Amino acid sequence: MARLGMVIDLQRCVSCGACALACKAENNTRNRAEGQSFNWADFLMKTGGTFPDAVHVVMPVLCNHCTDAPCVAVCPVSPKAIFKTPDGITMYDNERCIGCRLCQRACPYSNFELGETSLDGEAYSVLSFNPWQGDTQPQWTDKSEMIPGGTSSGAETAKMTAAAIPALNQYAEGEVKAIRKAGVIEKCTLCYHRVSNGLQPACVEVCPAKARIFGDQDDPNSEIAKILKAEKSFRLQEEKGTKPNVHYIHKYSARA
Amino acid sequence: MKLTRRAFIQASFATGGLLVVGTPLAQPVTNAMALRKAKPAGPAKGEWVSTACQGCTQWCAIQIFVQNGRAVRVRGNPLSKTNHGYVCPRGHLIPQQTYDPDRIKVPMKRTNPQKGRGIDPKFVPISWDEALDTIADRMMELRKNNETHRLVYLRGRYSPTSTELLYGTLPKIFGSPNYFSHSAICAEAEKMGPGFTQGYFGYRDYDLANTNCLVAWGTDPLASNRIVPNTIRRFGEILARGTVIAVDPRMSNAAAKAHEWLPVKPGTDGALAGAIAHVLLTEALWNREFVGDFKEGKNLFVAGQMIDEAAFAEKETHGLAKWWNVELKDRTPAWAENETLIPAGQIVRVARAMGKAAPKVAVWMGPGVAMTPRGTYAAMAVHALNGLLGSIDVEGGTLQSSGVPLGKFPSADAYVDDVAKAASKLKKLDGRGAKDMPAMMNARPGSGVVTNNVANGMLKDPGAVKVLLASWNNFSFSTTDPSRWDRALAKVPLFVHMVTNASEMTQFADVVLPATFNSSEGYSIVTNMGNTYGYATIQQPVGKRLWDVKQEETEVVWLLAEKLKAKGFPNLFDYYSKEFKDPEIGKTPANEKEFTEIAARISSAPMWMPKEPLKGDKIEGWADFRKKGIYNSAKYSYKKGWGGKFNTATKKFEFYSETAKKGLAEHAKKYETTIDDILAVSGYVARGELAFVPHYEPPKRHGSPQEYPFTFIDYKSRLNREGRSQNLPWYQEFKKVDPGDVSWNDVLKINPADGAKLGLKTGDTVRVTSVAGSIVTRLKLWEGVRPGTAAKCYGQGHWAYGRVAARDYAKAAPRGGNNNEILVDDYDRLSGSTARNGGFVGVKVAKA
Repeated sequence: MARLGMVIDLQRCVSCGACALACKAENNTRNRAEGQSFNWADFLMKTGGTFPDAVHVVMPVLCNHCTDAPCVAVCPVSPKAIFKTPDGITMYDNERCIGCRLCQRACPYSNFELGETSLDGEAYSVLSFNPWQGDTQPQWTDKSEMIPGGTSSGAETAKMTAAAIPALNQYAEGEVKAIRKAGVIEKCTLCYHRVSNGLQPACVEVCPAKARIFGDQDDPNSEIAKILKAEKSFRLQEEKGTKPNVHYIHKYSARA
Repeated sequence: MKLTRRAFIQASFATGGLLVVGTPLAQPVTNAMALRKAKPAGPAKGEWVSTACQGCTQWCAIQIFVQNGRAVRVRGNPLSKTNHGYVCPRGHLIPQQTYDPDRIKVPMKRTNPQKGRGIDPKFVPISWDEALDTIADRMMELRKNNETHRLVYLRGRYSPTSTELLYGTLPKIFGSPNYFSHSAICAEAEKMGPGFTQGYFGYRDYDLANTNCLVAWGTDPLASNRIVPNTIRRFGEILARGTVIAVDPRMSNAAAKAHEWLPVKPGTDGALAGAIAHVLLTEALWNREFVGDFKEGKNLFVAGQMIDEAAFAEKETHGLAKWWNVELKDRTPAWAENETLIPAGQIVRVARAMGKAAPKVAVWMGPGVAMTPRGTYAAMAVHALNGLLGSIDVEGGTLQSSGVPLGKFPSADAYVDDVAKAASKLKKLDGRGAKDMPAMMNARPGSGVVTNNVANGMLKDPGAVKVLLASWNNFSFSTTDPSRWDRALAKVPLFVHMVTNASEMTQFADVVLPATFNSSEGYSIVTNMGNTYGYATIQQPVGKRLWDVKQEETEVVWLLAEKLKAKGFPNLFDYYSKEFKDPEIGKTPANEKEFTEIAARISSAPMWMPKEPLKGDKIEGWADFRKKGIYNSAKYSYKKGWGGKFNTATKKFEFYSETAKKGLAEHAKKYETTIDDILAVSGYVARGELAFVPHYEPPKRHGSPQEYPFTFIDYKSRLNREGRSQNLPWYQEFKKVDPGDVSWNDVLKINPADGAKLGLKTGDTVRVTSVAGSIVTRLKLWEGVRPGTAAKCYGQGHWAYGRVAARDYAKAAPRGGNNNEILVDDYDRLSGSTARNGGFVGVKVAKA
């Protein structure tokens, strides 16, 4: 069995946002609402120091697919709605999820509700929750028109494309549906539908800086294993003992 | 009991709350159930279709993933030698822009004759037939009254080939000298740097794969200024092997990552460049192979001392000694520290790093240097460093452009009648070539467009424009002091806007023609260069066209020409329908769709059916070209201009610009005056010999430091698709990827020390006022800007365009504030470019 993971090279990363945007496109994640970002890939950002010695640093973040995942541990559903695959992906089942949000509380990298600080890049959440009430893609069911008869509407645009959302990336679904329903959590699957078929996760594939390296950490011939062996790396909140499988190397700013 | 979704939902609603159930169930369950195989899943099935991005002026070759006729995902064209198969974040916004719910889906006409900001045009849908009849009727009136010059065309985003069908042909055959490109509000002044020194009035390419020192100066190449995907790719590599230096008054993306950040006082780039040149010369760090050396070998460049011109033997350059004597000898780092606020020690350190890496240095000069009221000379000063370092046209240096073979459209000359011929000689509305507006693109006075001055021309002569056609532009938003455009547009009897969204400018339109969104729906051939290769990419429809929209440069001109023919003016239609012949089978177009395709085939034919084998990619015919989507040229051959082949007056790289001198003399002669007089009326401080060398001109500033204490800095977002992406939720969601910015917001950034002085804090709503106007926006205290400066990104502040871009479209209420409303309408008059950088406007900031 593999032990899948990712290395993010912060020297290469320029925080352009391509990874986060491609993730939204690949996984059809909805727009932010009710304290939930629905950004399976996001950023932590910080400006420190004093002008002119100020330093701005950025870290791309995603689910760490922890080996000892607190989200899995707390999932009360039996069999668990959020679980580990033999390859190390922290996976979840939209049908089994009961929407209790214990995982969101237990995950050290998640926030139950995001406030304004997430708009500054100071906070993010691995897990997002689709509220019980209402539509999970409201942009595309909205029938209002800005200029009546002259401009379209979200609902009309979706209808014209004959899809629930116009740019729907309809992948072959397992436990995680292309569009999630109300009352379930959602998060990064490491693009399970892609990586289980030999492709790279979308965020890795699109990175113009080649800052993301994905692979099997247990395969000594893999690029990721070689990098982890050669470079000093760190993980987020190692002290929590969750054994994250997303590693960072180098530093974002040459002046930090 | 096993807990299931159904049982939980029932229990939760029964107990009246979802969260209370947490505790008893929260006991970790670590059993075998925590580890299991996931059900099989698979990637989406579809097809990658080749097309072109056009989200910035790089015009990347891309591919869009299409599933059931829907545009889903985006990547760079894997065959591209420029972007390596990657797009910058802009590309990923294409599906959102394609499916923007606020897109105009049918032609519309105005029913409210009143025009103004905040006045509802009361647009109603009409047919294409009615829309085109209205336009053709008014155009025929102009022909009848012998005033065809009162037809004006304003070009926004365009295809470099198809533009010939509208911009290049319609005014020419119909008879108007008044057709204007948007380019002078963008970055044209940049071209004056390489133009006046090496005779290359164009955007440069940079050999980033081989450079050992990148100097990002007045630009954030990780975010904008072309070749973004390649820069993103190479940036980390250069950081690892060499030195990255960022000169920018605010902490840009490049500045955040760079080894050296020089937060220059806005507008003093010329002083900094002069001091770096001074160090390179006094410390003997110039490149001998390109520049030459002292005949006696001893370095005579000593601060404050003139040298004998005859003592230095130049190789590929001209006028180094003059430049030293006239400008550089006193430009010591200590002097520059006073002007630029950059410590002398850092200037020396940076100059040495550049000198050490020479000639593998890329001094990448951008609009921050040049788009200022005296920007031509700053552009020369910064670009001239490439000359001293010998990095012109060499491996790892600064390169000229690469091209591809393109097919030419047939000549229109036979269709230009006497009326049109006479009209073409009339004076243009933009005032180019006036005594105080030399607009010397290509060193030819009066040759450069002065886009933003068209509004002033229209206001001076309200009857000048009777029919205004405009495509893809938004001058009521994208130009400095845009209220001038509002007033000018309100007076036009028939304004036709070809556009995808009801932008600010559209609010003044009489007829709105919905445009294809060309990145995913257009059909044309798009060319550019980067990473040492030229290329042509196809742009073609990638999915089902949802709305009754038409491509402005092909379909619309054909249909309009057809209408004009029916009403008695056949020339345009006859030209399109008789002269355009398919390059393979010779067929002429029968309708607008065929016309579009034949035009694309003519433009690209030399690449897929070449007469002689080409040095670049091998393409096996049209179908192969459409599938591959790209033709890459052969790699750039270095040292193009070396050996006396630069396109300057002396054929050398000119530190003393005989090229500028010649052009200025020609302009002065036209007005029977001196060059000094021309410089004076155009707002430059240089007199005498200084006018011909790269030199420091102190920054011009509108607004006294007493009343307007902050110097305003405008910059561009890495998510801006040329000011058209603000209606996309993903733009708003990830606005934070512009350093210091806040998602779903538009923040003015000042230094915390200034905030403390003024009693202002992050989150305050503030009014930002200049002599030109004022905007209200949110404040953020940020250490990425110098005390005394205020920085804000361009892009937000839409009061129209869509319901995400505007806070309230119906009420014309903006989200944030448009920087242009506080920027003064001013120019770098030697180029005709609009000033928007260099801190030329002072602002005051107060709680709103």
